[in-house]
Amino acid sequence: MTLTRRGFTAGIAAGFAAPYIMGSARAQGGGTIKIGMCAPITGPAAEAGKYATGGAKLAVEAINKAGGILGKQIELIIEDDQTTNPGIVLAFSKLAANPEIVGFLGSIRSTQVHAMAPDVMKLGKPVMFGGTDPNLTKLGNPWLFRFRPNDSYSGRVIAEYGVKNLGKKKWAVLHSTDAFGTAGGKALTEALGPLGATVALDQGYANQSQDFTPVVLAIKQSGAEILGSYFTFENDLGIFARQLRQLGVNIPWVGSPSIVNVTALKLAGPALYGTFGVADYAEESSEASKAFGKAYRDAYKVAPDNQSSWPYDAINVLAMAIKNAGSTDPQKIREAIVAIKKYPGAEGEYNFDKNGDGLHGYNIVKNEKGNIVFDKHIEFDN
Amino acid sequence: MDLVLQLLFTGIGIGAVYALVALGFVLIFRATNVVNFAQGEFSMVAAYLMVVCAVDLELPYWLSFIIALAGMAVIGVIFNLGVYYPLRHRTYLPVIIATIGASILMANGVLALYGPQPQVLPGWFETPGIQLGPVYLDSQYLLIIVVTIALVIFNYWFFEHTMIGKKLQATSQDKEMASLLGISVSTMIMITFIYSAVLGGLAGLLVAPILFVSIQMGSTIALKAFAATIIGGFGDVAGAIIGGLALGIIETFGAAYISVPYKDGFAFLVLVLFLVFRPQGIFGERVAEKA
Repeated sequence: MTLTRRGFTAGIAAGFAAPYIMGSARAQGGGTIKIGMCAPITGPAAEAGKYATGGAKLAVEAINKAGGILGKQIELIIEDDQTTNPGIVLAFSKLAANPEIVGFLGSIRSTQVHAMAPDVMKLGKPVMFGGTDPNLTKLGNPWLFRFRPNDSYSGRVIAEYGVKNLGKKKWAVLHSTDAFGTAGGKALTEALGPLGATVALDQGYANQSQDFTPVVLAIKQSGAEILGSYFTFENDLGIFARQLRQLGVNIPWVGSPSIVNVTALKLAGPALYGTFGVADYAEESSEASKAFGKAYRDAYKVAPDNQSSWPYDAINVLAMAIKNAGSTDPQKIREAIVAIKKYPGAEGEYNFDKNGDGLHGYNIVKNEKGNIVFDKHIEFDN
Repeated sequence: MDLVLQLLFTGIGIGAVYALVALGFVLIFRATNVVNFAQGEFSMVAAYLMVVCAVDLELPYWLSFIIALAGMAVIGVIFNLGVYYPLRHRTYLPVIIATIGASILMANGVLALYGPQPQVLPGWFETPGIQLGPVYLDSQYLLIIVVTIALVIFNYWFFEHTMIGKKLQATSQDKEMASLLGISVSTMIMITFIYSAVLGGLAGLLVAPILFVSIQMGSTIALKAFAATIIGGFGDVAGAIIGGLALGIIETFGAAYISVPYKDGFAFLVLVLFLVFRPQGIFGERVAEKA
């Protein structure tokens, strides 16, 4: 048999077209509802990626065991985002090329969500994410839905807890000078004014500082009664906490979520005892949180945290929206998500607003000799 | 006044760390005429070796310390044979690039083996520090200062009063002449690499209980140590020590009295001023074309 030019061209064309033809055939007659997930399987956040996929899988298994949705089982397709922005763009484009996928899970990192946002807009299918930069739900992108409270709430919760519960009005605000820390410090400072509190010291620091002695001495000299902080990296937090205690500063301290993070607890040890932190996931905060915590521990034999709780909630909410919509049409799913009110998730009670923000409050937890204990939940209705 | 004393102590402590790493830069520069950009990674690798021995394998602290430093001596040999030796007849540029490559390899190698989470390494002493009047003296910083002083004395004795020290000096001043006099140049360079790796490692082991053990710990210190080396005068041992201490004190006082976020800026501002007005550093000869 000789290969003619026409035959060769036809063969190539058939080769390229086959996956698409088969793909569209599968899309019409497929037996599962497919959800795509971008997760850090490799790169610096690989460990967190394991927790995230674990949380998502747990929800998928539970839904499938209960009969699935619309009479079909859910299938989770995971792509590695390499913990980088180009990585998540690539991972999302791979998933987006599969027409059978009806919804997606993005990242817990705001910067990665920013990176993938234009492609999400182009594709026009719902994407759940965990990044907390308040701007992400203000991009005018109707397909982004957030499953953690955004940072504008954390500043308000730190301020409210310090002023109303701890009764302290003279504050030292310490924050990293990166985007996260600056926005957080600003949110906290702005929230303190209306509560009648004053800022005795507003102090920024550069990430990866080896020494915080000047900062600690400034806090001491400011006469502040309470410290509010936004630390980006746990090693900075650990060095600061130790030096704070060594130099004899023992004022109450309410910090952003990193203060109750497992790594920070390990690094700082006793220096963080007695501090307070805002946490989006707190195991004791509600029945739903407890139930998730138990299921997660049973399945993976490790403690649950916000890395695993938000994907768990995201899968559940997405499944519920598909069920309520009675369809996998993106527009109908979007409308069904926005209509979800008072849904008890592991992270808290979801009340979606028109921007796509599901949660509007934070938990306050206390470090009691290294154990993180739930104290109270503070919710805002605006 | 209390504030000044506290800042001075911290400044000297952190400056002593820069000085230790800077010393490694200087020794290799003197022997080979190249800057070893993997010097900071020596600190990081040693700290991880220490974590493996003292924390994971629960060996006694002193034994872990010795094993970690011995490990660094081995790494010094491998570094010399793998990075410097094959390129020794080339100009300084390929060697410098090779050291950058080696530093990336070491950082990512440790990342692959140990993961990205920072680790805790306990200090030498049970008591974290002592309160001396108004000043709190961190015991680990005290140790660092004492070790730095001891090393300055040791270096002086080693280079000025031992035969091997004199051979090393001869090699660094003129390799051809040293070779004609029967000194084995390659052995001397090997010894320099071993000594520098051990020195870098020692700095890492001393600073790890304060800064924690992380992949980035080496590069952050090395950048400052590099600046200290230029300020002190590239190639001058006393200069590296003075440069390191000066940098530690300048950045601590700059942070306290001018701006905390720009703390690193002060160090590099001083570096730029030196490069512009006195590129040979405080003690050094004119070597600007190599910087």
